[in-house]
Parts: sequence; structure tokens; C-alpha cells
Amino acid sequence: MDDILDEVVSSEDLQKFEKVFHEQLHQGKVTPKAQFEYAWCLVRSKYPTDIRKGILLLKELFHSHTDGKRDYLFYLAIGNARIKEYNKASHYVKTFLEIEPANQQVLALERQINKRMEKEGLIGMAVAGGAVLALGGLVGLGIALASSKK
Amino acid sequence: MDYVTTLKILVIGESGVGKSSIILAFTTGDYNASFPATIGVDYKCKVMEVNGLKVKLGIWDTAGQERYRTLTNSFYRDAHGAILVYDVSEPKTLAKLNEWVEELQVYSTKKNIVCLVVGNKIDKPRAVPREAGQAFAMKHRMLFIESSAKTQEGINLAFEELVQKIIETPGLWESTGSSSNIRVSNEERRKQEESSCYDYTCTI
Ligand SMILES: Nc1nc2c(ncn2[C@@H]2O[C@H](COP(=O)(O)OP(=O)(O)OP(=O)(O)O)[C@@H](O)[C@H]2O)c(=O)[nH]1
Ligand SMILES: [Mg+2]
Repeated sequence: MDDILDEVVSSEDLQKFEKVFHEQLHQGKVTPKAQFEYAWCLVRSKYPTDIRKGILLLKELFHSHTDGKRDYLFYLAIGNARIKEYNKASHYVKTFLEIEPANQQVLALERQINKRMEKEGLIGMAVAGGAVLALGGLVGLGIALASSKK
Repeated sequence: MDYVTTLKILVIGESGVGKSSIILAFTTGDYNASFPATIGVDYKCKVMEVNGLKVKLGIWDTAGQERYRTLTNSFYRDAHGAILVYDVSEPKTLAKLNEWVEELQVYSTKKNIVCLVVGNKIDKPRAVPREAGQAFAMKHRMLFIESSAKTQEGINLAFEELVQKIIETPGLWESTGSSSNIRVSNEERRKQEESSCYDYTCTI
């Protein structure tokens, strides 16, 4: 593992905090703590659907609960970067840096996001190059192959 | 890759004792007089040399803030070493280390994990005598050192001692390469692995 964006939640953790969240949901009162803990697991999941769900929960917290705003912003950036929504991720990072301009942890995250954008920009070009060479029906196949190779 | 193994090092302790500052001092030599509280968990790598072996350290810096208390213990899994930090100018941070020791006992998975107690901020007026930190470490059979992230004192030594002890602990770590000199210098460990471990796989 080289950076924090590679870190993946364990399924035990995800299940544990999901259970607490759903129990509270059934009782009709979800605490910010339970919602944050569940969202924190979701945005670190390997499944994009989980990550998107985590992002929704964090946004809701961000607008309703003033206490942990920096934590919510940080994990909104992480979640978006992990589903390759780099523009949104950068937006959250910038918002954070407006409040804490020298935060090392967030500056490091910004560098990681930029690095990934660059890397994936190059991959995009390679796909386009390959598609030019492949003719006719092969074009679709070439793109399908290139995009399945992560 | 020219390092023989990757070690997972966990850094724990109350918020504000200087965990992130110690890691920053160790990895870059810098110091920040107003370091913001860590969010969740942070991760830093550094390659260092011990006993002539290059090892890669993956250092996990956990947030000491209460809101992360129930979240960070899953990072204890598979750690080879743990650094437990208190602040020598704040006696309650040493008392609180008891709770972190308990968590470590519950959540760490390697039974012979090497632990180091660090009394940080020795540049400040002291409120905890050195002996108190030493006694705490001894009681839990942990290594002990005092440091200042501000002046760099004790910082490199802390990591050297910890990693040295990990490297010397048989069966705690696995080499990631197949270079022959490792086998010689760890003859004993290799023998032990061969005799007691059925699913020993060499990752090349
Ligand atoms: N005088 C002095 N101050 C220090 C030292 N180490 C850290 N500090 C200061 O103590 C404050 C807290 O340090 P951090 O490294 O953020 O503490 P932490 O343990 O990572 O805190 P959390 O991330 O909240 O768990 C910062 O403002 C540092 O500048 C030290 O050795 N001497
Ligand atoms: Mg910190």
C-alpha cells in the first residue's frame, strides 16, 4: 500500500457499523456518531455503490451537524476520489484547505488525487491511441478490454 | 524493490501527545508548532536500514480524538510493532495509556507484537518523572524511550530500537524477497518456519 486511497475497510467492520446504523434507523433516531461510523466504513469499501451511499450520509451530516465538519469534508474527498469523481474530490479538498491551509494530511491527499488524475489521463490517451489502430468492429472490443484492465 | 520486508507500525495514544509530530520528525525532520488533529488514520512510508537490512515501514498514525476511538482499532490487525505515546508534561496522558494497552491486547493479532512506550515533549517542563514512564513500560514488558519531536531528540533512536527488536523476534515478520543473505542472517527463523508452519508460502 502506498497511500491512504488504497486502504480498504474490512467486511467485519462494515457489517458491525452497518448493524448499529440500521438498528438506530429502525428505532427512528440515528445519532451523528452512528451515521458517521457507518459512512466512514462505506467510503472505504471496494464497491462503488457503498461509497456512493457513504457520500450521501456524509453530505447529510455535513449540513446537519456542525461538530465534525472537517472530518466529513475529508472523507467526502476520499470517497469521491475513490469512485474517480476527481473534480468533486478536489473541490472538497480545496474547501478544507481554505479553513486549514497548512494541513499536511489534506495536502498529501491533494497530491494523491492529482497523481491519480494524471495517471488516468494518460491511460485515457492510450485507449484512444489503441482505438485508432483497431478498425471497425474491433474498436468496441479494444475499448472494452482496455477499460476492464484496471 | 530493495527492501527485505514491510513492517506495519501502529502509533497510538491520547490526542495532542505528539504522535503525528513524531512521525513527521522521523520521516522528514520537520516540526510544526501547531499541528492539527489527525483525521481518522494517516499513513506514511519510510525505508530504513537495521542490522544491514533494508526494511520498509508502513506507519499508521491514528487519531487520538474520542470520535475515532471505536473506529481505529481495526488498524491494530497484523501490526508488527506499536508505539504508545504520552506527553511528559501531562500526567494524565500516561495514566490513559492503560486503556490503549487494553485495546492493544484485545485487537492486535500478532501475539509477539513489539511495543515501545514513548514519553514525548521532553523539551517542555516535565510533570512526569522518567522513572514513571519506565515503570509503566516495564510492567507491560515494553521498550521505553523519551523524545522531543521539536528538538528531534530520541526520535530516530525510538524507531531504530523498535525495528531492531521486531527484526530480532523470530516468526514475527516474513521476508518479501528471496535474496540469499536474508536466509543466512535469519537461519534460525527460517528453520522454525519450516518446521512449524504448513502453509508457509514464499512471496517473491
Ligand atoms: N513542545 C513540544 N510540542 C510538541 C512536541 N510534539 C508535538 N508537539 C505539539 O503538540 C501538538 C499536538 O501534536 P500532534 O502531533 O498533532 O499530536 P497527535 O498525538 O498526533 O494528536 P491527534 O492527531 O489529535 O491524536 C502540536 O501542536 C505539536 O506542535 C514536542 O516534542 N515538544
Ligand atoms: Mg495526529
